[in-house]
Amino acid sequence: MRLASDVAYLGPLRTMVRESCSLVGFDSAAGEEIVLAVQEGAANVIRHCYGGCSDNPIDMWILFGENELTIELVDYGTFVDPSQIKSRKLEEVRPGGLGVHLMQKVMDEVNFEQNPAGGTTLTLRKRVPAADPQTGGS
Amino acid sequence: MALQVKREEFGDAVVLGVEGSVDIYSSPELRGELKLALDKQAPRIVIDLAGVSFIDSSGLATLIEGLQKVKVYSGNLVLCELTQTVLGVFQLANLDHIFTIKETRESALAN
Repeated sequence: MRLASDVAYLGPLRTMVRESCSLVGFDSAAGEEIVLAVQEGAANVIRHCYGGCSDNPIDMWILFGENELTIELVDYGTFVDPSQIKSRKLEEVRPGGLGVHLMQKVMDEVNFEQNPAGGTTLTLRKRVPAADPQTGGS
Repeated sequence: MALQVKREEFGDAVVLGVEGSVDIYSSPELRGELKLALDKQAPRIVIDLAGVSFIDSSGLATLIEGLQKVKVYSGNLVLCELTQTVLGVFQLANLDHIFTIKETRESALAN
C-alpha cells in the first residue's frame, strides 16, 4: 500500500498491520508489539527522512511467509545513516530516542538499507514463536 | 480513534482521563492539557490511561516531559489504569520503574 507521509494516516496503517499479524498467527500481545515497531518505523520516516513534510510517499509491503511476517517501509527521502539513528541509553530518562530501541527490542530483524535511487528501505521481520507441544499454544 | 482528554479536579489533584491512541499525531493534545496543569503547578497530577488503546514513543516522550517538569516544583505525577498493551510498552522502554503506576484511579488519588 502507498500512503502519504502524514502522521494522521498512521492509525489506518496500524489497523492493517494488526490484521496482518493476526492472519499470520501472532497472538494479540505479539501483534501489538509488531504494530508498535511499524508505527515507530513509519514515524521515523516522516520525521527524519521527509523532515516532517506530509505529502511524500511511503510504500509499505507486507510479506506473508511461513510462520513469519516481514514488513518493508520504503521512502524516497533523505537517507539517514543507520549509525546516526542511535537509540539512547535507557537509563537516560529523557524524551525521545526510544523509537529505534523499541523496534529492535520487538522484532527479530531490523534493517535499514539505502535505495539506489534514493531513500531508505526499512525491513522489519518477526517469526511466529513455535507452538508449545504441551499446551498447543505459542 | 481520536484522542480525548477529560480534565477533572479532586482537591489539589488534577486528573486527566485520556481516551484513544496517544501517538505522534495526537500526543500534542495531551501535551497541551498536561502543560495547563504544570503551568498551574498542580501538586498532584493523575493521568488515567484506562481508555488508551495504543501508545508510541511520542506518547511516552510526552509523559516523560511531564514527569520531569513536575519534579522541578516537587509535585507528583501518577499514572493509573494502564491496559496490558500500554503497560507492555512502558516495560519495553524500561519506564515502568521510572513512573509511579497505580492500578486504579482511587489508589492513584490516594498516593
